[in-house]
Amino acid sequence: MSKIQYQFKRSTPLRFLSHLDQQRLFQRAFRRANLPIEYSQGFNPHPKMSFALAMSVGLTSDCEYGEVNVSEDLNSDEFLARMNAALPNGLQIVNAKVCEEGTSSLSSSIEKSYYLLKVKLVPEMSFLRLDEIIKSYLELTDIKMEKRNKKGKMVEKNIRPFIESIAVYQLDGESDRVNIEMTLTYIDQQCVKPERVLESINSLYGGAFIVDPTIECHRQKLLLKADF
Amino acid sequence: MNNYIEKNILPLVTKPITYLGNEVNAVHKTPHEKMIRFAFAFPDTYEVGMSHLGMKILYGLLNEEADIWCERVFAPWVDMEEQLIKNNLPLYGLESMMPLNEYDFVGFTLQYEMSFSNVLNMLKLGHITLEAKERQEGEPFVIAGGPCAYNPEPLSDFIDFYVIGEGEEVILKIMESYRRWKKTNGKRIDFLRMVAEIEGVYVPAFYEVTYDDATGVIKSFLPIVEEAPKTIRKQFINDLDASYFPEKIVVSYTETVHDRISYEIFRGCGRGCRFCQAGMIYRPTREKTVSTIQSKIRALVDATGYDEVSLSSLSTGDYSEIETLIKNLVDEYEDQKVSISLPSLRIDSLSIEMLEEIQKVRKAGLTLAPEAGTQRMRDVINKGVTEENLLDTVHTAFEKGWGHVKLYFMIGLPGETDEDIEGIADLGQKTVDEYMKIDKEQRNKSLKVVLSTSSFVPKPFTPFQWMGQNTQEEFKKKQRQLKASIKDRKISYSWHDSGVSFLEAVFARGDRRLGQVLKKANEKGCRFDGWGEHFQLEKWNEAFAEAGIDPEFYALRNRDYDEMLPWDFIDTGVKKEFLKAEALKALEALTTPYCPENCSNCGIMEFKKGWKCHV
Repeated sequence: MSKIQYQFKRSTPLRFLSHLDQQRLFQRAFRRANLPIEYSQGFNPHPKMSFALAMSVGLTSDCEYGEVNVSEDLNSDEFLARMNAALPNGLQIVNAKVCEEGTSSLSSSIEKSYYLLKVKLVPEMSFLRLDEIIKSYLELTDIKMEKRNKKGKMVEKNIRPFIESIAVYQLDGESDRVNIEMTLTYIDQQCVKPERVLESINSLYGGAFIVDPTIECHRQKLLLKADF
Repeated sequence: MNNYIEKNILPLVTKPITYLGNEVNAVHKTPHEKMIRFAFAFPDTYEVGMSHLGMKILYGLLNEEADIWCERVFAPWVDMEEQLIKNNLPLYGLESMMPLNEYDFVGFTLQYEMSFSNVLNMLKLGHITLEAKERQEGEPFVIAGGPCAYNPEPLSDFIDFYVIGEGEEVILKIMESYRRWKKTNGKRIDFLRMVAEIEGVYVPAFYEVTYDDATGVIKSFLPIVEEAPKTIRKQFINDLDASYFPEKIVVSYTETVHDRISYEIFRGCGRGCRFCQAGMIYRPTREKTVSTIQSKIRALVDATGYDEVSLSSLSTGDYSEIETLIKNLVDEYEDQKVSISLPSLRIDSLSIEMLEEIQKVRKAGLTLAPEAGTQRMRDVINKGVTEENLLDTVHTAFEKGWGHVKLYFMIGLPGETDEDIEGIADLGQKTVDEYMKIDKEQRNKSLKVVLSTSSFVPKPFTPFQWMGQNTQEEFKKKQRQLKASIKDRKISYSWHDSGVSFLEAVFARGDRRLGQVLKKANEKGCRFDGWGEHFQLEKWNEAFAEAGIDPEFYALRNRDYDEMLPWDFIDTGVKKEFLKAEALKALEALTTPYCPENCSNCGIMEFKKGWKCHV
């Protein structure tokens, strides 16, 4: 009996999966790959598996993590090969390792998330003005935002500590759209969504970005406290 | 189009992943000039359509042919529909995202009447000319099949041709004709003439209907071209065991209505319930062997990774080797944690023992369908279930820890009296009494009995095809009466909207004059009538009024036994005289035995040369 941790990518074809869809997809892929997965006890046995983070609908990512318990010893190369043969185009396992006993869970060791966003600007927004806004925004020390707490209640919270950096890049030949690199920090397994950061900029500076579901959001990297 | 939709439209709609056609086992081919492009259309949502077995069979079967690419298309949900219209984009087949009007065939499966408005809506969204007679050369052939094709008339203005009966063999003959027709550079009409000669194919445009001016009933129904036969014989496969079933099925990413492998273990049913259309049109009963079932399920589990297999049929407990089959499957999949489920079980204690053995059920809900509240009424409908059966079953279930029982009934059955309505409440009470008989330590801590009624809809090719439906007022009165008869707070009552059932009855027994109503309803925006929140009876009433058609003529009228019915030109193998004899027996509450026990000569044995039931 051991635990396998793996790193995977999600690309455009499967970016619209919900967290539950993706869970179901992995459960079925484990069975198609004929891997000796461990199941929970009880009437409704479920594979013992989890993801470091729940991915939101629309997000693509070069760096996600998952873990699964297996009931027999399994070589990490074999896990990787069999899973990749079973996964559909759009999900790919890039790395896997068999964990030692007592390895802490992935979700507790997330440190930072590096995002790349493609965002449309409101019509009258110039790149120069946007640059100033971002600079000014990052100088703030207290940025209040309504946020749902763990109990599901809306509370006002300072989101500034979650934001490590924001950088805006102009795109060749596109004046109405920019690339944004955003690094967000996890504190006590809590963070803020990049779209919410854009909303908060909008509300403080009278509108800069068009925040709607067509924003393209990509995770470039997820930094863990321990080396993967 | 592909990329534009992905980037700009799908992010704005619910369940965007269901509009991409990139699921595990979805078939993708490289198109070429001669490839036949077939869009299998399910006129309801993705979640409903993806649970449908027939689509899986025909999708697999057609895609086995190298020169055919069969894709899927479902009714887009209202938010997606809005986006398509707003962006002037046509509805498309999922796999290739090609506009619907560019396919060679668009084939609808008609599972229930309330999806008819979606057929029209999908054609319109697919930029296909609505009426078959106005379709241009180069437009797709719009074809249809499924149980509601047994009365094809209401949709016949919009469908180029129908397949009556089981499609597995006929569809390949149609494809063969198409290949030949393509080589001749023929006209649409030439192809229709070719397929009209295939047994089981019905081309509505080749028939003329006249009506009696005084009564409005059909006076004559005759073919007007020589290729069109006078009678359309339904098709069925003799050797179901050897028939095609795919080894790979598409696995949805989102949760579907039946999110599991559904494997058909037998077709047909010999119980002979008089209200049940499936029980008549799918005759004869044909079983698959245990070994075929096991090997096919093995392949399907390996190819899909599903954690549940449902053994589907009209009455799964009637499979001759059900116990062996279940035992084998449970043994085989125990380690892999694949569970086996049994839909449509009849009411007997054996069923409970089987459920107990196989299911991971949390003893939460047990659903049983006595269908009627009194023994007399159960005999009228030939349900073949006694009160004793039911009470024994719930007793066993309560002993084993179940605490939630749902009982299904129909109201508005032929010859129904107040006593029959009160009998439903009474049966609910007796169910509660059974629970009370069980020791407190043994039984579930809480009890909930749900009585649920649907409104009876008379269907073609059943012994009740001549019977009028109750009026909506009568249904409402009966619902109130039943509600008032329930005394125990452990019993709750739920019922179906009678307006929906009324419309269902109109279309179930309608004729081709209803085409104009469908067209008007479509213009008024009717679709998703099976979805409570989108059903607009007022709009339908307007459509009937504007078309000058009285819906009650179809739904409420008792029809004479010698009246020409709109579907009389179809021969299902079950003789009309048999249905009539059954209808007359129903009036006297006389029952008919289960087929294997005693053949009642329904006609299916003479229908097809060489066919023998139960050998």
